[in-house]
Amino acid sequence: MRCDEARRLMPLYGYGELAPADEERFEAHLHDCNACQRALDGQSRLNQWLDDVALAPPEGMLTASRVELRSRLAGEPRPGGFRAWVRDTFWFRVGAAPLWMQGAAALVLVAAGFFGGRGFGPSEAGLAVGSEVRYVQPQNSGRVQVVVYETHERVFTGTLQDEPIRRLLVSATREVSNPALRVQSVELLKNDCRSGEIRSALINALQHDPDPGVRLEALDGLKEFAAEPQVRNVFSHVLLGDSSPGVRMQVIRVLLQQRQEDEMVGVFQELMRREPDVYVRQQCTRALQAMNASAEEY
Amino acid sequence: MEQVAAAAVTGTVQRMDEAALIRAAQKGDERAFEALVRLYDQNVLRLAYNLLRSAEDANDVYQEAYLRVYRNLHAFRFDCSFQTWLYRIVTNLCLDALRRRKVRKEESGTVETADGALDRMVSIEEERAHGDPQRELLSNELRERIGEALQALTPRERMVFELRHYHGMRLRAIGESLGTSEEAAKNCLFRATQKMRAALGDFV
Repeated sequence: MRCDEARRLMPLYGYGELAPADEERFEAHLHDCNACQRALDGQSRLNQWLDDVALAPPEGMLTASRVELRSRLAGEPRPGGFRAWVRDTFWFRVGAAPLWMQGAAALVLVAAGFFGGRGFGPSEAGLAVGSEVRYVQPQNSGRVQVVVYETHERVFTGTLQDEPIRRLLVSATREVSNPALRVQSVELLKNDCRSGEIRSALINALQHDPDPGVRLEALDGLKEFAAEPQVRNVFSHVLLGDSSPGVRMQVIRVLLQQRQEDEMVGVFQELMRREPDVYVRQQCTRALQAMNASAEEY
Repeated sequence: MEQVAAAAVTGTVQRMDEAALIRAAQKGDERAFEALVRLYDQNVLRLAYNLLRSAEDANDVYQEAYLRVYRNLHAFRFDCSFQTWLYRIVTNLCLDALRRRKVRKEESGTVETADGALDRMVSIEEERAHGDPQRELLSNELRERIGEALQALTPRERMVFELRHYHGMRLRAIGESLGTSEEAAKNCLFRATQKMRAALGDFV
């Protein structure tokens, strides 16, 4: 083996990536070549230095990343080809997120704090996760005063008839960073839609929530009020403007149950004019046929 | 399915066969998916953090990689190992990020720490050289040179080097992850070490 070949194989030798025959030839060359032996020593030193400069992610980062991932997954539709398509398109109810995802909800703010505010100082100092140092004040005695804001968990228990519980749940329907929390809150509130506040929260969720699962839950809660002009008006807007075919399909079903045919023919015909989804179009066509209205002349 | 879920709850899921976890996760077992995430996510984060030197960017890669795994796991057919598949996703995301930086010339050579932005090499433990001025001087200069040498590598050379040196992956697996041959990965590693030796010639 010549020195130039030995130098080419040297990095692979260091990482144990040489074939046995090449390794044997390399070592035989090394035995007889002081220059290559020195070069190999240099390679070993370089590897040692490179080990020394390796960086580990900051303390707490892995946990924060896992928490954020759980939260994001909670907002993801369940994948799975045809089954997923059927569920996304036809399912009436979207089940609540799994428990481990729900448990992540309270920790989302921790993750946001970590990546937003570089919050690993307090945890390194042994403070509670979520703590934030706000003021640092040197004192004459040589001591230092550090003011820390801490986030504390409070637990509320009660029924849906309890005002504080209702308010908290309504507030949770607007928790933008946590779709699992929004789904669960809407699912609970929809069983008690007599309150105007709750109905407004569901209407808001149906019109503006970015997650189709939340919108479907809100629609489910509002369907019994579909006879009311305000709610039906919202349904019409959702039917013509919602981005999810599953939601649009479900709105058609709810509206059909109300038998307000004359009023809805125009909306369905407008939908036919703009609807890109073939299954929603089929459903809409069937609805118009059931009303003895034309699906063509609009 | 029930067994997988129960095992996940009791923590014994880590000892489960990886293939069983994948199959359970493919059927919608969320706890199996979480256990699958935890098999490699420490290495994923470390790889992204070392390559990108930014907590935000590394977290972005972490999130996007596992979201893609979640969305596409149902299509995983065991044609390669799960780790290879995962690393293929992660390395592609990291390479994209590195290339974007090259284009934007945003590579600052700094790393974010709790104390703010520090030069990557300066952020290494100082105590090694502490108390020995001559060694400290050498150490600081060496760190700078290593940092420059790493930055001078192409994104692909950097990736191969990172996976081989810090993650102990075999070159064949690296080649599979990067969608190239073992031979190409070998050449990449050779070029990377040559460049570093050239840059650090005075020290090596």
